[in-house]
Amino acid sequence: MKQKISALMDGELFDDDAETILDKLKQNPDMQEEWRSYHLIGDVLRQSDNVHANISIAIHKRLQAEPTVLSPHQRDSHNARWLALSAAASVMALTLVAWLSVQVGSETVPQLAMRQSQNAQPANLPARGLDDYLMAHQEFSPGLDVHGMTAYVHTVASQQEDK
Amino acid sequence: MKARFVLTLVLYFTAVPAFADIGRQVGLDWPQIIAFATHKTNYSGTFVYQYNGHMESARITHISDQSGEHEKLESMDGPRRAFIRNNDKVWWYSGDRKAVQVERRYNSKRFPALQPELLSALNENYLIYTAEQARISGFDTQAIVFQPKDTLRYTHKMWAHMDSGLLLKAAVLNERKEIVEQYTFIQLNIGGEIERTHMMPGQSTTSSEQQSNFDLPAEISEQAATSEWKVAAVPTGFKKIMEKRRSLHGKNRDVIHFVYSDGLAGISVFIETSGTNFEKRLGLSSRGAIHVYSKIKDDYLVTVVGEIPPLSVIQIADSVRHNGQ
Repeated sequence: MKQKISALMDGELFDDDAETILDKLKQNPDMQEEWRSYHLIGDVLRQSDNVHANISIAIHKRLQAEPTVLSPHQRDSHNARWLALSAAASVMALTLVAWLSVQVGSETVPQLAMRQSQNAQPANLPARGLDDYLMAHQEFSPGLDVHGMTAYVHTVASQQEDK
Repeated sequence: MKARFVLTLVLYFTAVPAFADIGRQVGLDWPQIIAFATHKTNYSGTFVYQYNGHMESARITHISDQSGEHEKLESMDGPRRAFIRNNDKVWWYSGDRKAVQVERRYNSKRFPALQPELLSALNENYLIYTAEQARISGFDTQAIVFQPKDTLRYTHKMWAHMDSGLLLKAAVLNERKEIVEQYTFIQLNIGGEIERTHMMPGQSTTSSEQQSNFDLPAEISEQAATSEWKVAAVPTGFKKIMEKRRSLHGKNRDVIHFVYSDGLAGISVFIETSGTNFEKRLGLSSRGAIHVYSKIKDDYLVTVVGEIPPLSVIQIADSVRHNGQ
């Protein structure tokens, strides 16, 4: 399913598939959340400037550049109308989802964007606070079986820069 | 034209298998040999750890005898930091801070053999094959590649000593074959007399400091009463190997800890009430192949830690649900 959502984002789906996915998206809040985070992740990874801006605009733009959704078979006018209608409905639904997610997700969105923009290179873990999690994780991770205590090097590495 | 096409086709089918044959698929022998060597051999050495453009060295000493496994890992650069393990107990020393007992392993009888579940998970999620033979730190090694069958996890490449099976080098690679992190031994003694000093907690620092300051365990309540939470989007191939309430040392309140494994990589999901002072930890951070992502879900702080690509960590954190939602 996730692959399909991501294929839809990339415009790699056929019309029928895309429509099915969009229908499912409309019905399933979990998938909507996924759709939102895919876009957020994509934006953050591309380091685009408008991540922290209104996401619904970004989605809107992408949808307009999405030929598979918006340009159905031209030959069959009846079919085309249906597709256009459902595509329009989908766009509205997506805009709503995006708008909702901006409202609901406002606490996570700016932080993720902020983190990424503060550090051009991947953020190194702060020494305090996260070490607890790292240690608790390492003891149960299968890495310990294979690498032995060398796996703990993640915590032992000094990270002088985050003093 | 047609002839050329046919020729290409023929070449493809003859040449490709020939190339693919470079890496002979080896099944599960090597992982078992490596795990056995890691836990049952006496060794001490220094290795260089490279990640995120940093390079640091650390020293490891490992002794396996009648009384079990004893090991120590200490940093060689920067302030002194060390782990000391005595069977299922692990102590953590950091700079001038007091010794802290960090963990009591839930099952110290896991070795020497890898658990069958772990092996079958390895087999399902990775293609395991041999690569080149290389000389590392003066030892002859065989490289083994753990190639994931999807993009949800990293590729692992390990160089194992031909005689003992010990790992001399290990690298984690992303889907573009770039090195995410790696460690390489630059000096290693295998077997023989291993210096035992400073191996036991209490010998390395003054005993008064020792005794007074164990943060008493991380006594783990094995109650698995955590069904109120659900991690909806665990990447395929990861199976839950543990679920419990625990105290994360230094904190009084309970943390719910889930652990998932695909045989080689682990994912931990921590869920706790969001106290004060959590803001600075929110977001994504990484140390080599380990990525950490924290977010607020309702009144809870969700933290995901794993040796998996950053996208996977974020998706998992986003999929944590209170049951009934």
